[in-house]
Amino acid sequence: MTPRFLHATRRRFLGGTASVAALASLSMPLQAQENLVPLDEYEPTFLNAAEWAFIMAATARIIPSDGDGPGAIETRVPVFIDRQLAGPFGAAADLYMEGPFDVDADPNLGIQSPLTPSEIYREGIAAFDAWCVDNQGGSFADLDAQAQDAALTALSQGEPQLRPELLEFWSLLVQNTKEGYFADPMYGGNAGMQAWLYIGYPGARANYLEWVGRNEEYRLGPVNIAGERA
Amino acid sequence: MARTDPKRDVVIVGLGWTGSIMGIELAKEGLDILALERGPDRSTVPDFQYPNVIDELKYGIRFGFMQKPRNSTITVRRSLDEVAQPMRRLGSFLPGDGVGGAGIHWNGQTWRPMANEYNLRSYVEENFGADTIPEDMTIQDWGVTAEELEPYYDRFEYMAGISGQAGNINGEIIAGGNPFEAPRSRDYPLPPLPQQVDSQMFGEAAASMGYHPFPRPAANASAAWTNEYGMQLGPCNFCGFCERYGCINYSKASPQTCILDALKRYDNFSYRVNSEVLRVNLAADGRTATGVTYWDDEAQEEVTQPADLVILAAYQLHNVHLMLLSGIGEPYNPRTGEGVTGKNYAYQMTGGTTLFYRDVEFNPFAASGSSGISIDDFAINQIDFAAEGFIGGSYITAGLSNGQPIRGISLPAGTPSWGAEWKAGIGEWYGHAMSIGSHGSNLSYRDCYLDLDPTYTDPHGRPLMRMTFDWKPNDIRMTQFMRSKIEEIAQAMEPDSWRSGYKSEGARYDIRPYQTTHNVGGAIMGTDPNTSAVNRYLQAWGQHNVFVLGAGAFPQNIQYNPTGAVGALAYWAADAIINDYLPDPRPLV
Amino acid sequence: MRIFLKTIAALVVIGILVLLAIIYVPVQRTPAQTALADDWQPEDGHGEYAMRLADCMACHTAEGGEPFAGNRAIESPLGTIYSTNITPDPETGIGNWTLADFRAALYDGVRPDGTQLYPAMPYANFRQVSEEDLRAMYDYFMNDVEPVRLQVEETALAFPFNQRWGLRLWKWVALDDPGFTPQYDDPVLARGEYLTEGPGHCSACHTPRNTVMAQAGLRASDPEFLAGGEIAGWTAPPLRGPQSAIRGWSAEDVAMILGTARNAHAALNGEMQLVARDSTQFVTDDDLMAIGTFLVGLNDPDAPRAGTSDDAEPTQTEQLLTAADPDMALGPRLYLDNCNACHFVNGRGADEVFPELDGNSLVTAERPTGLIAMILAGSQLPSTELRPYRLQMPGFGERLSDDEVAALASFVRSAWSNDAAPVSASDVADLRGEVQPAVR
Repeated sequence: MTPRFLHATRRRFLGGTASVAALASLSMPLQAQENLVPLDEYEPTFLNAAEWAFIMAATARIIPSDGDGPGAIETRVPVFIDRQLAGPFGAAADLYMEGPFDVDADPNLGIQSPLTPSEIYREGIAAFDAWCVDNQGGSFADLDAQAQDAALTALSQGEPQLRPELLEFWSLLVQNTKEGYFADPMYGGNAGMQAWLYIGYPGARANYLEWVGRNEEYRLGPVNIAGERA
Repeated sequence: MARTDPKRDVVIVGLGWTGSIMGIELAKEGLDILALERGPDRSTVPDFQYPNVIDELKYGIRFGFMQKPRNSTITVRRSLDEVAQPMRRLGSFLPGDGVGGAGIHWNGQTWRPMANEYNLRSYVEENFGADTIPEDMTIQDWGVTAEELEPYYDRFEYMAGISGQAGNINGEIIAGGNPFEAPRSRDYPLPPLPQQVDSQMFGEAAASMGYHPFPRPAANASAAWTNEYGMQLGPCNFCGFCERYGCINYSKASPQTCILDALKRYDNFSYRVNSEVLRVNLAADGRTATGVTYWDDEAQEEVTQPADLVILAAYQLHNVHLMLLSGIGEPYNPRTGEGVTGKNYAYQMTGGTTLFYRDVEFNPFAASGSSGISIDDFAINQIDFAAEGFIGGSYITAGLSNGQPIRGISLPAGTPSWGAEWKAGIGEWYGHAMSIGSHGSNLSYRDCYLDLDPTYTDPHGRPLMRMTFDWKPNDIRMTQFMRSKIEEIAQAMEPDSWRSGYKSEGARYDIRPYQTTHNVGGAIMGTDPNTSAVNRYLQAWGQHNVFVLGAGAFPQNIQYNPTGAVGALAYWAADAIINDYLPDPRPLV
Repeated sequence: MRIFLKTIAALVVIGILVLLAIIYVPVQRTPAQTALADDWQPEDGHGEYAMRLADCMACHTAEGGEPFAGNRAIESPLGTIYSTNITPDPETGIGNWTLADFRAALYDGVRPDGTQLYPAMPYANFRQVSEEDLRAMYDYFMNDVEPVRLQVEETALAFPFNQRWGLRLWKWVALDDPGFTPQYDDPVLARGEYLTEGPGHCSACHTPRNTVMAQAGLRASDPEFLAGGEIAGWTAPPLRGPQSAIRGWSAEDVAMILGTARNAHAALNGEMQLVARDSTQFVTDDDLMAIGTFLVGLNDPDAPRAGTSDDAEPTQTEQLLTAADPDMALGPRLYLDNCNACHFVNGRGADEVFPELDGNSLVTAERPTGLIAMILAGSQLPSTELRPYRLQMPGFGERLSDDEVAALASFVRSAWSNDAAPVSASDVADLRGEVQPAVR
């Protein structure tokens, strides 16, 4: 079964946004949105099928689609994560990766894992999924939302006792999900600048001198780096 | 492979603020100068140009303009008996690299220390008694005074086009400025920036409580400015992308906006990028430097660069690292208290209270780096150390410096960090929070210092530098005192709710969350070669042709952001070199 | 009938004789206009200074080439003209030229061998250069410039322009009498007039061309002089009259922009950046003030500066941009998204850093070429001694479509007090890919 939301990004985007008329008159983001491959047809670069299913399911709980504002799925956060893990971030290109690695060092002294972020995802997903099978009766993506939330809560509290090299798995997952939600759409997430629209953040406009000191709602929609408007 | 290049009069290590200041001042003297910058070249266009730099992920989160730990990092421990671990990713502080250095990605707060911060030990002893100073506290006098440095602060502030409001001009208190500041000879070059809603609210509340609010001195120009080099700033447009970013708008004072194009016109000045200095070379007798050796990344070879004068103008941590690697000054030994290089590393004690207002539109994206309102009623020269039980002080301040959503949206206490409630929270509270912060002193202690790590090395095979640092009860008492004052103000401001974050008793240093890039000490200035690494002119005691610029000279940290003092000391040292040292090269003290 | 034929034949014969005369009769070379002693010597630096005034470097140095070795491709309406090597190399340069040869090139536009020079060389204006400046320049080129052996590209224009003899006819129409007689008694004004009309050859770009493509006015007394021209498809703005780019400016404003490429109102753009880079930044303060005083004197002293209506009341444009209403039209929205960072809601920018757009001659020029090029490719000011910063506006060509550039350009052309015709997307499409900043 394909979840309903996978087919509905554009409609939801329009339906979930207050200023549809304004959007329609300045329609570039809609055009850009139409060119995006639907998530169920997206071919991940780094993540394998099981990992993709996990990321789809986990990010959908970290930023759910219910309620006001878009969720991780409508904003295409999984695409962002896949692309980040496939790139320099996933490969720890900037990080100091020389040993020895004292993985049991006090966390205040910083993460000491010998694994790159992409390796932490790969091993972390496998280990956490195995824990879900043992403790929740199925791999994470197959659980219902309530069980998924319970499993993620357990993960956030260190309950699955992942090996210390994977200590950062949960915080990375949450951090990268929020990054994908709010980063410029050119990185694959924040589709249609929906996350910016939701919180009232004008994106990459970067000039507001005439707004300083005004206790007044700023209503003009965002612009992204590419110059698209929403 | 290796090569030796022709001798220069001067080699400058690092082309940030201090390297650029020293570069242009010495270039005017006609000296043949080479500056070596380990990072890439950077100019407003294309490196900071709109819209490309307005990319929170690349620069705010992935630290595009910062040093890469893979190339350069330190190890950290919190006590002498802990095993230091390498800082594998950036967190607590963010040293830059590339032309302009940290001068491109700062927020722009440009302060002068209080007069008593230069002679803190004498001040405490004279006013409160030597026994006020805890046994393990190693605070020292700088060897210079506010009066001596005043012309150099003035020069730096006019060069950088600082926007602010004087509070004390030659002893006359000026309404609207900081009445507690040391006397200045004239007003700031530019008027204060306009103030955001949060700053206005804080200022009104503080004034109503009898405090003395004033605008923060900002290196974000409030109007067009042309400095002594003919370099130009345009007015800040409150783009909301200041700290961690290069300025799109020629508005933030930086080596690029204030010095470099003027400096590049001198034929006797040149600079090389992607050229990391590996060590300072000393003469056989160790009494002078003969130049430096650097890694030429383009040629993939080590280069020996002879020079008559060596200026260490890298970031504080890297200056101290080079000194330790090169044998400049005796390494500090925390067990005996002897040695000077690496001594008195200090940081900054900060804390804050966040206030939530459902019905106020703060529009935090409309922000400059340094607009805001402060009070100095609890500054280091206003506190009775004996009565309060700590030595130190803090300015207290409000002013939103960005509204970038990945870097964090403040949410009321109890809001989860993920899931449906988090999402509801960001929709409800984005743009409805402000904060009041304490930016306080951090004093120096016997076991807070820098030396070479016994285990970890960098890509050039050099030992990493090891930082030993932790929070101390004196400074935690200071921040808790500030908490009590800030929370009084917060209550008076009647927010819907508020939450506080201050170090409390037993707090240990945590390298992970960003705190501030105000690392100081390790190459401290002073009056005695047995207790300081450089003399009052920032000249190495043991090698008279080596000058060490930057915040490494602070014997303990001031209660302010360091750049103002760093800039003033660079002009002070340049003046000493030009007028005193060059005519007769020798130890100046 | 026979008489008629005889008349025709006679006319043909006369015509042929005239033609032969034009082609073969040696050109009369204008003599020195002031008698100087044979042993007259320029003061140190005079020659180089005169060269800077005349901006020889701009045309006679190729991008990245040796100074004065020529070979710069100059795009003219007639086709590409390659500038000559004017270093003292005897074979490929002017090393064998006599003073009289040099004078003939500057005054009459002829080479020693009698070849007619194309009017890309502004001899129409150089005819007013003083004998002192001319001799100093000659001395400079012969003694202070390094000889460079470089055979420049042959200029090969299409017929009929490759028939250089035709230029002799053209010169009868296009050239004024040689020599300079000031029209002002005031020495400052007279000096400004000399610098502007003569060596500065401002008129070459800033004066309209008449039907035979000659400058329509060569002297300040000609109403067409500096009334606006064109260079490389950009408008060289009028410096007098109701559309004057400098109306309401002070002499100091003019001196500032010439000396530093920027002033409180505007920044130099296009080819004029090269003039500042190579010429005017080296001109003395006194001479810049003389030029400024002279040019300001050509303008109505009571004309308000462009764009300064009533400072007290925000303009409609300013109110529109300040409100930032989501329903605003595309043009102002694009302004907020791309331009407002530096030029601000009032279109005033900031002194010497961000040019004013309200009343800006580039923005409101009849031909929008310069404005479109500026939006697409940006611009970079040259470094000058007084203002060393190479302030740069990035190009927005990658961020904006042709339609968007047109909407944005049309908006700024009609914003604040501006009142210029809209721009079409096809205007933008024609320029996309063609333009790049002048100074690099």
